[in-house]
Amino acid sequence: MIQSFRENRRLQGFLLILPTLLVMLVMLVLPLTLTVITSFGQRDADGNVIYTFTLENYWRLLGFTETGWDDLYLGILMRSLWLAVQTTVIVILMAYPLAYFIARAPEKRRNFLLFLVLIPLWTNFIIRIYAWVMILRGQGVLNSALGGVAGLLSIPFTPFDFYPSQGAVLVGMVYEFLPFMILPIYTSLEKIEPNLYEAAADLYANAFHTFWRVTVPLSMPGVVAGTILTFVPVIGTFVVSDILGGRQVILVGNLVQRQFLDARNPPFGSAASIILLLMTLALTLYYTRRFGLGEEIAAG
Amino acid sequence: MTGRFWGGLMVVVLVALLVAACGGGSAAPAQEATSACPEPNPRVEVTSTELNLFVWTEYIPQATIDCFEEVYGITVNKDEYSSNEEMYAKLSAGGANYDLVQPTDYIVALMIRQGLLQELDKSRLPIFAQLDPNYLSLPFDPDNKYTLPYQAGTDAIVVNTDAVETAPQSFADLWNPDYAGRLVMLDDSRAIIGMTLLTLGYDVNTTDPAQLEEAKVKLAELVKGVKLFDSDSPKTALIAGDVDLGITWTGEAVVAQREVPAIEYIYPTEGPILWQDNYAIPTGAPHIDAAYAWLNYSLQGDNFWRMLDEFPYTNPNLAALEFAKANHPDLYDAYINSNITNTPADVLKRGHRIQDVGAATPLYDQVWTEVKGG
Repeated sequence: MIQSFRENRRLQGFLLILPTLLVMLVMLVLPLTLTVITSFGQRDADGNVIYTFTLENYWRLLGFTETGWDDLYLGILMRSLWLAVQTTVIVILMAYPLAYFIARAPEKRRNFLLFLVLIPLWTNFIIRIYAWVMILRGQGVLNSALGGVAGLLSIPFTPFDFYPSQGAVLVGMVYEFLPFMILPIYTSLEKIEPNLYEAAADLYANAFHTFWRVTVPLSMPGVVAGTILTFVPVIGTFVVSDILGGRQVILVGNLVQRQFLDARNPPFGSAASIILLLMTLALTLYYTRRFGLGEEIAAG
Repeated sequence: MTGRFWGGLMVVVLVALLVAACGGGSAAPAQEATSACPEPNPRVEVTSTELNLFVWTEYIPQATIDCFEEVYGITVNKDEYSSNEEMYAKLSAGGANYDLVQPTDYIVALMIRQGLLQELDKSRLPIFAQLDPNYLSLPFDPDNKYTLPYQAGTDAIVVNTDAVETAPQSFADLWNPDYAGRLVMLDDSRAIIGMTLLTLGYDVNTTDPAQLEEAKVKLAELVKGVKLFDSDSPKTALIAGDVDLGITWTGEAVVAQREVPAIEYIYPTEGPILWQDNYAIPTGAPHIDAAYAWLNYSLQGDNFWRMLDEFPYTNPNLAALEFAKANHPDLYDAYINSNITNTPADVLKRGHRIQDVGAATPLYDQVWTEVKGG
């Protein structure tokens, strides 16, 4: 019996992944199934879920109401999507040069530089966002510094309204997700064989050509991985927007949260989160088909 | 919140240093210093050794908890929430084993309907006699079968008179274009939509879609000039000067005024929104005897007076006020002479109470989403 177990590779493999499978089942498949079922339900007057089968929640989200077309919820989805796109693009533009710099640094210094990238993550995320409030507010660090400089040059100075604003939200988002882009890009840049650069030079490629035809294509897996690690969480995030944006706008994350709390309308909230899920899935699939699968996800 | 946060961080660091210095071995000397705890009166029979509180954040003086633990030898476990909806969601999901919760008026009726609360046994609550009758038998729980009042307050206008020349006297005045970009509002759909309904002469609890539609159009105008929605700590932005006026609630206004004396609290001519937080025992509470012991002990005058100092709201506890008058006259005077905590009787008369609107709840949510999302 023990002998046959030793030879049964499939059984061994199955037993090894069993804990993960169970976690996935309990923490992912079951809740998701419940969400799907709830999304076809209705709320009673007190906010309890009545389990029926109606597509009403989905129609309302997509804009088809009794009184006609209403793009309220699609607008909120688009706003969240746009914020995610902006964040991701800025993060790529900032992370790539930094990752490049680290990957090209002397080997001894690389770990130290990576360490610097990671240090902010030691502090709780909410605390770091509140720190941005301190920096950006009317009487905050940034305005005081600018005011001091203006005073030295005897220029009249009125404090800027950095906070709360949508600009502050973007700053907070970029700040928060930058490390998650730097690391995967660094990993793919670091793996590029130096021989390839020599080969490119031997073939008379100049620095730009080498970068564009060798470095960029070989680092794409890192960019793709970083994009997924940034874009997907950003769509659903609303904490940064709430704190730095003064809760002036509603993002899709706020929408879902409000349905489960203030509105006491779990079916509508479930439908909203399913739509968000499907949209994210579709975009991610399209993106990975277009640019290849992010091999660095595991590494990053 | 942020100021409190840095203060809190320093306390944590200091405590950590202290613990490190003590080697974690001898906490005994510190214990003796706190033995000035009031005796329970009356002392009730308790067999439970634990008490599970589910309460608002920053709403119970730590000294009261420490004293209760010392006097009764009961371990107090405290979970906190920052909105009634959060508390309701957790309780209605089932599986929670709390002994006491602190629901606000409008959610009490809903919780009773949903069978989430159990009836109080008044014979075990001698403390009841010390509560101000003005805060008893309110519409959400007519004979106080399920709840007893903890603290009360209002949502009204707050204004920094150093920064604002003409202070608003009514909710309707907030639409003044001079105030645009300087306003802080609670991130509370019912309070803010309710306030807008009042300016239009409608009921705060209307379920009429046409009236809500009208309120939505009007509120959308105001929202453009709102710099900040904050239900966690609107005072922070007021004190820091990020905003100059807006709508906030009793406790926030008191603390803001302590920091910046120019900050005033104005009861709008339409009448403020009134609210009351209450204690209630959830269905299935595992330590009912400890819950009754806590209610009687924590609410007795020589404990509850601390609220005047730490969490200054309108205090429905006559014994606490009397105790403060005799032993802490400065606190008592500050309480009685402040129009924020000691709400004038005529203001109370024209105040409005938020009620659960049942089937119309998603309608309010839609209005809120549209004014913020449109």
